[in-house]
Amino acid sequence: MLGLWKTWKALEAKGIMGINRRNADYVLKYNKRSLYPIVDDKIITKERAIAAGIDVPEMYGVIETEKGIDKLREIIGDRPDFVVKPAQGAGGDGILVIADRFEDRYRTVSGKIVSHEEIEHQISSILTGLYSLGGHRDRALIEYRVTPDPIFKSISYEGVPDIRIIVLKGYPVMAMLRLPTRQSGGKANLHQGAIGVGVDLATGVTLRGTWLNSKINKHPDTTNSVDGVQLPNWDGFMKLAAGCYELCGLGYIGVDMVLDQEKGPLILELNARPGLNIQIANDCGLTHRAHAVEARLAELAKKGIIETPEERTHFAQELFGHAPKAES
Amino acid sequence: MRSLNLHLKILITLLVGLGILITAYQIFILGIPLTEDETDDLWNIDARVEFQASPREPVKLQMFVPPLNQDYVSLNESFISNNYGVSINRANGNRKVTWSARRASGKQTLYYRLVLTKRYSGEQAKSEGPIFRDSIPVEGAEKIAAEALLAPIRQHSADVETFISETIKRVNNANDDNVKLLLGGDASTAKKADAIELLLSIAHVPMERVHTIRLATEIQQNPELWLRSFNGEKWLYFNPDTGQQGMPNDRLIWWIGDESLVSLEGGKQANVSFTLSNSEMNAIRLAKLTDENTDADFLEYSMYSLPLSTQKTFQIMMVIPIGVLVILILRNLGGLQTLGTFTPVLIALAFRETQLGFGIMLFTIITALGLSLRSYLEHLKLQMLPRLSVVLTFVVVLIATISLFSHKLGLERGLSVALFPMVILTMTIERLSITWEERGGGHAFKVAIGTLVAATLAHLLMSVPQLTYFVFTFPAVLMILVGFMLAMGRYRGYRLTELFRFKAFLKD
Repeated sequence: MLGLWKTWKALEAKGIMGINRRNADYVLKYNKRSLYPIVDDKIITKERAIAAGIDVPEMYGVIETEKGIDKLREIIGDRPDFVVKPAQGAGGDGILVIADRFEDRYRTVSGKIVSHEEIEHQISSILTGLYSLGGHRDRALIEYRVTPDPIFKSISYEGVPDIRIIVLKGYPVMAMLRLPTRQSGGKANLHQGAIGVGVDLATGVTLRGTWLNSKINKHPDTTNSVDGVQLPNWDGFMKLAAGCYELCGLGYIGVDMVLDQEKGPLILELNARPGLNIQIANDCGLTHRAHAVEARLAELAKKGIIETPEERTHFAQELFGHAPKAES
Repeated sequence: MRSLNLHLKILITLLVGLGILITAYQIFILGIPLTEDETDDLWNIDARVEFQASPREPVKLQMFVPPLNQDYVSLNESFISNNYGVSINRANGNRKVTWSARRASGKQTLYYRLVLTKRYSGEQAKSEGPIFRDSIPVEGAEKIAAEALLAPIRQHSADVETFISETIKRVNNANDDNVKLLLGGDASTAKKADAIELLLSIAHVPMERVHTIRLATEIQQNPELWLRSFNGEKWLYFNPDTGQQGMPNDRLIWWIGDESLVSLEGGKQANVSFTLSNSEMNAIRLAKLTDENTDADFLEYSMYSLPLSTQKTFQIMMVIPIGVLVILILRNLGGLQTLGTFTPVLIALAFRETQLGFGIMLFTIITALGLSLRSYLEHLKLQMLPRLSVVLTFVVVLIATISLFSHKLGLERGLSVALFPMVILTMTIERLSITWEERGGGHAFKVAIGTLVAATLAHLLMSVPQLTYFVFTFPAVLMILVGFMLAMGRYRGYRLTELFRFKAFLKD
């Protein structure tokens, strides 16, 4: 009992945020329920992002009805690779990634050969709500396949590693690189077994990682160190993430981004209830950082200043970066 | 945000305060018993009147009966008599029953029966009495004796109370010649009371005789005489034999005044004997009885005024918030993962009928079989609604089969499986299988166990009879519960499981 109390006090001192605090003080306070559809539906997110000039993977087309499935060939055209996604899917379910095509067949990233009919059936399943939260009818999204930057080759197993940045009121507060493992089946979700690696907000250099709630230094599949890797175009990621506040209006979000070989940082999706394991990956609590941002906001509100995404990014990097002076 | 917190605090304080106040009112003012097994004494007093009626003469017998304006509530009162007319009238704070008959002969027996309990007294009436009286005229030797006695009494007393007790003490001193003179050789209590009254009257202290019955069984008793005097605030009671002040709790005032218990016209040898017996009665039933017999409506607006069959349902319903509270605590404080929010409560309700061990077994069997069917259906790539329908039908068939088998095997309890909420089971299976696919078997198993643990705990708590009774009798407790739930709504501390989840931080 006493041990638990000590743990409690120690965690509190470190500013570790628990689920209750996240829900009460951030999600419920800053995220208006009416704005949820913007992040829950990837198509709406994408449309908003495009309108705001934020980079997203190019959308090839949307299929909304069973009748619309006939247009699949038309949408694909003669592109060799593409991704089929449910607009409201959760946990990366129902995503079909086509890497190549030959004759009249398609090959997925994992090397499985599928026929055109199988893709159509997959889309039909998506439409009936097989993969959506709560089983609602859904829409299928066909979009550009991201080719991960080669930098991730050594520290990732299959799949596409993505970068998550927690953004509070437009201020990036914490970042994490999520690396798929064999156990996660190529998915970048931590609770499915992917690795989370903390990232220095100022420099974009990776820190140590977390895997299944414990700290690690090496990727379990490739055995390469996950720390000390410089992520390219880091400021681009930060700017992208900071701009998402204006995009969706939600005050506390997790922005998931990827680094495409050709197009650079792209936004994949937004999450209104980002998980808390990012704290373990960064070996740092969220509460203190969130309080710092809230104090800054209160200060600015008094002066009547509203900061631009660049200013917010700069503020966050100055304050939260592990080595802020070395970069500038 | 701060105003919101203040708002919430006020709301919580209001709810909790109101809940405590109403419950306290019910417990302390209305005296509603705290537990169902609480019992109260129920007194059965029989007064038997016997007399010889004179032939060819109308008979009229008057007897005092308890005025019942004190701490007692009469539940039943009956006058048992053949061929007698009965009437009751009140006078000077007393109640008198009059039995009358045109013609009666030989030995007559009349009964008066009173059933009462010392509970649920209403407001105490403000007592009022005389504080001055004229002296009883007395002359000669008695006058001198009285004055001789009064002199030391005056010296040794400070107020009415001490004056009276000093007087009683003196009168009870049998060796005192003055006392001997006043009593005239008769040392009965009645005679002593007369002497005391005389002495007090000279000092202008008023005094009344109070005739009481002792609430005790197995003793032969006649009305016991007490004296009382009003000191300006309240009545002071004295025992004329011992000078003891204050009447014990087990005395019931039968009548007040100098008259005798019975007065009889047209007969002789009237004799009254008392028989007392007591029994215990369930306090809450007694309260209901009291309600029916008095104009006090303690339970009028409580759940007890509902029809009996509805009461049963509500007894179950009123404890649901307690089950919900268990889930709330387990989830938000403990961090236990359950399927859905209120599914465990519904399962707990089903456990009421199936019993715990059997219920868990049935739940496990049905869920396990349902899950295997669900995983088979997964291969067929069905749409959601048809898939759910198939699972639901399967669950129904499964329940029917289990009932049939257990009936054939003579396990009657197996029939209670029908009360398992089928839709809940179906949704549990569906959710569990989705969890299984998304997060793996280990996690699904954890969640299923969590659900069962939560349901078991909720069931155990919800079936504590004392708790059921308490919530049903004092529904205002639910307001306190809501206050707590509201507070939980803004709780932002860690959950118990998070202390383990984030342990990695402390290993450095």
